[in-house]
Amino acid sequence: MSPRRPTMPPLSRLAGCCLIALLLALPFTTHAAQSLRYPATPEGDAASALVIHGALDLPQVRPLLDAFHRDHPHVALHYRNLSTLTLHERFLKTPGEADVLISSAMPWQYRLANDGQAQPLDTAAARRWPAWARWRSELFAVTFEPIVMVVNEAIIERFGEVRSHADLLTLLERQGESLRGRVVTYDPAESGAGYTYAIEESRLSPRYWELVAALGEAEAVLAETTGEMLEGLIEGRYLVGYNLLGSYARERLADHPQLEIVVPEDYTLVTQRLALVPRLAPHPEMARRFLDYLIGERGQEVLARETPLGAIHPSLEGPGTAAALRRQRGEALRPIRLGPGLLATLDDLKREALLTRWRREFTRRERR
Amino acid sequence: MKRGDSLARRLLAWLLVPLLVLGSLMLLQAWIEARRTADRAFDRLLEAASLAIAEQVQWQDDRLWLDLPPAALEMLATDAEERVFYSLVDRHGRMITGNAELPGDAREAISDDDTLLYRDIAWQGLSLRQGVRRTRLEEWQLREPFEVRVAHSREGRDALAAELWRANLAMILAMAALAIVALLLAIRTALAPLTRLRRAIRRRDPRTLAPLELRLPRELAELRDTVNDLLARMRRVRANQERFIGDASHQLRTPLAGLSARAELALRQDDPARWREALVAMQATSTRTARLAMQLLSLTRLANPEYRPELTPLSLNAIAREAIREHWTACHRAGIDLGVASPAADVEILGIDWQLAEALGNLIDNARRYGARHVTIHVGEAPPSLAVEDDGPGIPPARRRLMLRPFHRDRDDLEGSGLGLAIVDGIARTHGARLVMSEGSGGAGLRVTLAFPGDTP
Repeated sequence: MSPRRPTMPPLSRLAGCCLIALLLALPFTTHAAQSLRYPATPEGDAASALVIHGALDLPQVRPLLDAFHRDHPHVALHYRNLSTLTLHERFLKTPGEADVLISSAMPWQYRLANDGQAQPLDTAAARRWPAWARWRSELFAVTFEPIVMVVNEAIIERFGEVRSHADLLTLLERQGESLRGRVVTYDPAESGAGYTYAIEESRLSPRYWELVAALGEAEAVLAETTGEMLEGLIEGRYLVGYNLLGSYARERLADHPQLEIVVPEDYTLVTQRLALVPRLAPHPEMARRFLDYLIGERGQEVLARETPLGAIHPSLEGPGTAAALRRQRGEALRPIRLGPGLLATLDDLKREALLTRWRREFTRRERR
Repeated sequence: MKRGDSLARRLLAWLLVPLLVLGSLMLLQAWIEARRTADRAFDRLLEAASLAIAEQVQWQDDRLWLDLPPAALEMLATDAEERVFYSLVDRHGRMITGNAELPGDAREAISDDDTLLYRDIAWQGLSLRQGVRRTRLEEWQLREPFEVRVAHSREGRDALAAELWRANLAMILAMAALAIVALLLAIRTALAPLTRLRRAIRRRDPRTLAPLELRLPRELAELRDTVNDLLARMRRVRANQERFIGDASHQLRTPLAGLSARAELALRQDDPARWREALVAMQATSTRTARLAMQLLSLTRLANPEYRPELTPLSLNAIAREAIREHWTACHRAGIDLGVASPAADVEILGIDWQLAEALGNLIDNARRYGARHVTIHVGEAPPSLAVEDDGPGIPPARRRLMLRPFHRDRDDLEGSGLGLAIVDGIARTHGARLVMSEGSGGAGLRVTLAFPGDTP
């Protein structure tokens, strides 16, 4: 635990550490320390450097950095791919190390900005950025990634289409026996992402608890990462996957036509990667330029065309953009709100309360 | 209008400066009030949020338990996207949960019940508004006190305060503009009579001394009346002067006509003895005329208010003795007894010796002319005074003041210019002395006294 977090009293530090570890062990980041370096062209001076810490896999971040480096060849770029947990802890330990932080751990990123650790970006692109995708001018959502279900063709053939949470609930209630042990979802107790989705879904509708109970009744398997779920689905161990990260699923399942990706029609959670420039960034000028690029038309276009992450920029249309997803799902999209509500997600007691409830609902059948 | 001192400018300055000071005070007051209003409005959010949190606090597993409602935190952030902080603190001041270890509020609560304290704090370089709710759990067996501390940054408050202030600013500026316009109009209106007065004076014929007839406000009416008084005095002075000049020319014309007639008469004769006789008579007349001209001249000089001769210390005894010496022969020839009564000690005053000699000469001359037998010069000590007393017919008290006017003669049958007493009066005024006419000792005759100011030096 870093000394920069005096807000945590010593007694609850241990608990806090556990929580962070759990919460940040998000499945969609690679854990191995990887990095990308772009050397500056010879005429570049030493002052033009940029250090980016991101929870974004190299294949996805590479096109972004390539394009930026083409525009600014004199900048020595260094990208470190870290897990959300490592990224956060490393920042707390050495807040003056990175120029830009990009992470999918929305509550943590929000908390850093809320505590005044981010510096504002005041550019034309920042002012045009949609209000729902930014907080003040300090925290910017740069991607748009829906949470999806994955359904095996066999299920659709036998029981009909599964298009929504309501369909899934009906399916689980009616065909619970035949699906026993063949459904997979996040374990909210073990996975930070799963916990975040659970808390958001429970806020959206009390019927979520019926779904949890139905999942429990079907003896759903609990997984820790989207990758794990996808493996099981591809291998055919599971027939239905609930709450997978859409961007990863789309990439991984491109050559598995028997697995259908379902973007639910009733509501679809959308998670976003948040980028900020730390207050103590060593190269603030270049950091602001990179963030401006990231939310500018150029960066977003690269994001839409060459990555599965989903671009937000309002002027972009076509596949891989938020606009396209909106046309498809319209009102059903529920981006995780970028607001103080995220802080509640980080509350220790809140987490305990939610998990207790979740466990109770999940094991309702056993108690009967 | 000339730059520099101006009534309008002065009025404007004296009215504008307080107006501006007042306006600034109003703006300051409006700002403080706007902040207070914004704080009041936004403190409701702290109240609601802390209440929403406090309501979720429970006792569970032998400890305080909170199922934090996200809406409570959302409530604290308005459109201004404030930073939000909260913490739950137990009876021992330990933080149970929260995203920031907010400081407590040392102030005493007003009551033991649910209370809420607001204040501005600076926390880790952020300027925050904090609300601390002190309350307690009321369960069957348990009364557990706890504190909910919530805080948010001031952006929303500042924006609201600025908005309220801007509205006030517009109003105050509009009022100031109206006030200034009204002020300018008022000053113009108030000073309009002054302009009328100025125009009225400028339009007048420079030779006329007629009073100003103009309706004016009270303050200016006083000025007009004063000017009119001055004009009236000038009219009287001019009338006096005109009469004096008329009298003087008349006085001079008579002897000159006499001279002319006498010369004409003599030229018709061939006898040198007659010529001589005529020349003697003409010489006497011209001497008298010259004396008259002298008197007129000295009277004119004395009447000039700008005439400020230098006074020198001199002895009244010496003046009196000199007068006796000068006039004794003439009086003796006319059978008049001229004497002096002076104290043993010298009486000294500041004065002009030739003027006093002239005054005594005039008085003695008058007495001689009006048929006195005894004339005495008295020198007084305290106050210093010179008096000429005679035993002639005297002047009735009612007519004494008239005697001081030039060319006024008590009787027309006697020769004399009628200037004597007027000259004495002028000399008395030059010396700051008082001219008193009274009866002589024994109830007959006339005593003319020049009482000088102060004691002998």
